[in-house]
Amino acid sequence: MEILSSLWSGFAVAALPINLALIFGGCFAGTLIGALPGLGPVNGVAILIPLTFAFGLDATSSMILLSAVYYGCMYGGRISAILLNIPGDEPAIMTTLDGYPMAKKGQAADALAISGVASFIGATLATIGLTLFAPMLAKAAIHFGPSDYFALYVMAFATIGGITGTDPRKTLLAAMLGLMLGTVGLDPSTGVARYTFGSFNLYDGFDPIVALVGLFALSEILFFLEERAHGGGLVPPGRVFPRFSRVREGLGASLRGSLIGFVAGILPGAGASLGAVMSYSFEKRISDKGTFGQGDPRGVAAPEAGNNAASGGALIPMLTLGVPGSGTTAVMLAMLISLNIQPGPLLFQRSPDLVWGLVAALYLANLVLLILNLPLIGMFTRVLGLPAWGLMPLVVAISYLGVYAITHAAFDLMVMVGFGILGFVLRKLEFSLVPVVLGLLLGMDMENNLRRALSISGGDFTILVESPIAVTIYALTIAFLALSLWLSRRSIVPTPS
Amino acid sequence: MTDRLAGLAFVLLATGYVWLSAGYTAGFGDPLGPAIFPRVVGIPAIILGLSLAIWPRHTAIWAGPAGLARQAAAVALLIFYALMLEPLGFVATSFVSILGLGLLMGATALAGVVTAGLAAPGLYLLFDRLMGLPLPLVGTWFG
Repeated sequence: MEILSSLWSGFAVAALPINLALIFGGCFAGTLIGALPGLGPVNGVAILIPLTFAFGLDATSSMILLSAVYYGCMYGGRISAILLNIPGDEPAIMTTLDGYPMAKKGQAADALAISGVASFIGATLATIGLTLFAPMLAKAAIHFGPSDYFALYVMAFATIGGITGTDPRKTLLAAMLGLMLGTVGLDPSTGVARYTFGSFNLYDGFDPIVALVGLFALSEILFFLEERAHGGGLVPPGRVFPRFSRVREGLGASLRGSLIGFVAGILPGAGASLGAVMSYSFEKRISDKGTFGQGDPRGVAAPEAGNNAASGGALIPMLTLGVPGSGTTAVMLAMLISLNIQPGPLLFQRSPDLVWGLVAALYLANLVLLILNLPLIGMFTRVLGLPAWGLMPLVVAISYLGVYAITHAAFDLMVMVGFGILGFVLRKLEFSLVPVVLGLLLGMDMENNLRRALSISGGDFTILVESPIAVTIYALTIAFLALSLWLSRRSIVPTPS
Repeated sequence: MTDRLAGLAFVLLATGYVWLSAGYTAGFGDPLGPAIFPRVVGIPAIILGLSLAIWPRHTAIWAGPAGLARQAAAVALLIFYALMLEPLGFVATSFVSILGLGLLMGATALAGVVTAGLAAPGLYLLFDRLMGLPLPLVGTWFG
């Protein structure tokens, strides 16, 4: 019952007028960003972070805004997947498989309604899971010592690339690059200037916010210029109102997809895309009678419930351990750390308003999104006609003004461009960007925990493997790496960007 | 092939990184000091980089000449935007950058000018005047 009373006070926070406005605005912007091909949740959240700083929003309101955008993107991604056969963002790839065939049969309205309801079921169940499990995990994590945290960070870096079929060596190298970049600047405990090459601009190190806007938003622009890809034309929506009989066909698949997606979301490094892939494959295995891929409503419901549930699940390790489960939550973690809030087990005790306000806001955001995505869906389908040349340059301008507004320094704009080029080159070489951000972000804390552990032991490295918790975490890490190495040789899962 | 180059780049970077860490000496009370973490990160990075250089798996496919030219032009515009934002002001630099990027992405001249002409002052009004983010209207070069 402790949870219910906490949740109740969370609703009091979420119901403040400013937060309600942010929920509405965030859901709207998120659906839009998700629906537009080329912009996904990571880009959307990355562009908005400098703005939340510049407007001086407090941590709770910023988190509410970003989470609403995050959830909104998961709903929005399906719109262009169904109508254009282009996934609006990466987790929506699986939705094209049955969504587009349904649209071609003139059942676009049905497909949009089925996936909208599936998204709602997935996201709501995941939010309930978050409410129940996050406090439990936070309680357990209080017993972690410095060497256990070091082990946890090693696991986060080793697994963040996920079971995605990319070369795990590259994931580790990307994380190490991030950690190297993170050590630039004054060493906090001794004041020694490291890797600054005499530049005073570098004494504060690289601002993670500036870095991630460059890595995600600007590199996307360079990618876009590579080729001018065109998908199938916009499918006319067909009948205007969905049939509820069709929506009902997808309910069972939605429930199963939610469960699988939620578990995938909690796993470190797996995230929403894997949630969608796993939900779709499972549903196909148990209920396919040759109709999957031809426009089966269950093939639309399962991956949508899966990716929405995964995005809720991914918030759990981020809030309770400070270790994000996906790219977007890594970016949100960057914002919390920049606001001097260290996520982790103590967050639930120190900032209950933030945690429970956020959880309550997620329930409200789901309701808002259901309304935006069922009766008001026509608004978003019209946006898909907008040309990229009108839109992408605006993303650049907003990135510049957001970063400039928080740093007021041309030097940081140049750093952002540098990270944009770095991000583009890394993505071309199939290095994932999320470990870089994570390294830059968590490097300082990881270093502190290592040095704390080593000063307890007087410089003896065996302290790192003395605690049973740490040993368990290392064993899990090795198992995970072995699995992803094996999968990368078979390369069965689509590679994310 | 690109994997070999990437691996070599990582080896060079990490070697330099570890080598420089020798200069960061320990204070007392901190037995291993500011040099230990760079070594814990840098030495495995050298090994992984070597492994990637010796056993490559992937070769990146770059854009054709036209694509590379578009990307180079975009990078030039992005650098211009970053360096000139303060000297020329937000509206002028945004106009040039939005127009340039729009043209690179296939806008017609008229559509590009109209978009940039509306967006550059529009963003200034929206964010500076309406929402109170201070942006430089005219740059330092114009007083």
